[in-house]
Amino acid sequence: MSLSNLIKNWSYFRVRRPYEGQYEKSDYKWAMVIDLDACIGCNACTTACYAENNLPVVGKTLYGKGQAMHWIRIERYWGEGDVMQTDFPDRGAQYLPMLCQQCEAAPCEPVCPVGATHHSPDGLNTQVYNRCVGSRYCSANCPYKVRYFNWWNYPERAWPNPLELQLNPDVTVRSKGVMEKCTFCMQRIRYSMDKAKDQDRLIQDGEVVTACAQACPTSAITFGNLLDKTSKVAAMWKRQEIDLATDHQEKEDPNMRGYRVLEFMRTYPSIVYLERVRDYEA
Amino acid sequence: MNSCMKKVFWAAAFWLLCGVTAAEPFVSGGPIGSQTWDGYFAQGPVVDQPIEFPHNTHAGRMQINCMYCHTGARRSNVSAIPRLDKCMGCHNLLEEVKDRPRIKRLFWYWEHKQAIPWKKVHDLPDFVRFNHERHIQRFYFKQHRPVREVCGYCHGDIASMTVARRVKALSMGWCIDCHMKDHKVSATSTETIHGPHDCWMCHK
Repeated sequence: MSLSNLIKNWSYFRVRRPYEGQYEKSDYKWAMVIDLDACIGCNACTTACYAENNLPVVGKTLYGKGQAMHWIRIERYWGEGDVMQTDFPDRGAQYLPMLCQQCEAAPCEPVCPVGATHHSPDGLNTQVYNRCVGSRYCSANCPYKVRYFNWWNYPERAWPNPLELQLNPDVTVRSKGVMEKCTFCMQRIRYSMDKAKDQDRLIQDGEVVTACAQACPTSAITFGNLLDKTSKVAAMWKRQEIDLATDHQEKEDPNMRGYRVLEFMRTYPSIVYLERVRDYEA
Repeated sequence: MNSCMKKVFWAAAFWLLCGVTAAEPFVSGGPIGSQTWDGYFAQGPVVDQPIEFPHNTHAGRMQINCMYCHTGARRSNVSAIPRLDKCMGCHNLLEEVKDRPRIKRLFWYWEHKQAIPWKKVHDLPDFVRFNHERHIQRFYFKQHRPVREVCGYCHGDIASMTVARRVKALSMGWCIDCHMKDHKVSATSTETIHGPHDCWMCHK
């Protein structure tokens, strides 16, 4: 980035998302809806993510140190303690799959000293592995704690010969000292974009399915293009009266259960969670 | 001239002399050749292939389209090195060249039912996704440019080589150089568009 380029495109570099007309030129804005009422906490999404995105299995010791590399994790809320208090502890845990929220105003983006994470035109918060120098500033700034750092050279540890044959060739195998995070299965998106471009059309709804959404046995995860008004995701966002560019959703219908995690922090996430329905009478 | 000034003078002279002699070959374009970063790394290593495949005969003299053998280029990410049966499809019928040493080796692989262990010449890092299909579709099928020119943007003039050798830098700055330019959408239209600049288009 030369200085003249920086001055010339100052407004572009200093942009505050989401802004008016951000997606006018773009065809896609990828978004997700996760229905917590349907989620049974089976961890199939996590397993699928491990298989799809070459995530290393770190082992029990490192997991205990908090160095697990799961891009999507199932958070459990039991009735223990004040913070994790659920309404009905006797009915078991409440689950919440937590993955990168692909925020519009992502806190991780402006703090990267080398610009390894930036906002893509289709609304994804990208991580470029070969540019990352491992300052871990982004992880510190992420309110959702969904960025994972390669503390070790996992390729040697996690996939000893011949296990490297299971690796997905479309995804980089990250090396030591690199930050990584959920990509919304970007390799699948790019593949479908190619196929769609061959036929001179846009990606249709349901053509791209992330690994977690594909593996979910209860179809709790829905993925799609928010700009495509006919898509399932756009319909759900509209039905739940959620607007991408507001930090406080004023709902006319109190029965609507859509919300975005830590929305008040003005990160404008791309993932909507549907609250769990509880039978308060029982 | 006092002693202090003398010291400064001699130190300056010394460093100047060192600087001039050290910089000499670089300034005058000495043994290294082109002094640019891309120029320095442009020429790839010579790759020893199991058979010295003569691209100059096939693509040059015979004028065979690159995509006759590299069929993946128009429909997938990779251009694909052709399978042995692709070679044999023609060479089974070409009686007059069957006694040539290279063709004999080809038949040896065929008779022993072994794939030829070709080596990769244009190898990108694992974190880069280059899509042949998008480039071929745009420049060959939409703009109707000659295939030797289209493939030659990145591969050089393969038709004049025997064994292919990397002659372009294939570095990111080199890619971006072309992606910054405006290219016509199709052969007849005046509308132009430049290549994508988004990181995740190429990095995975």
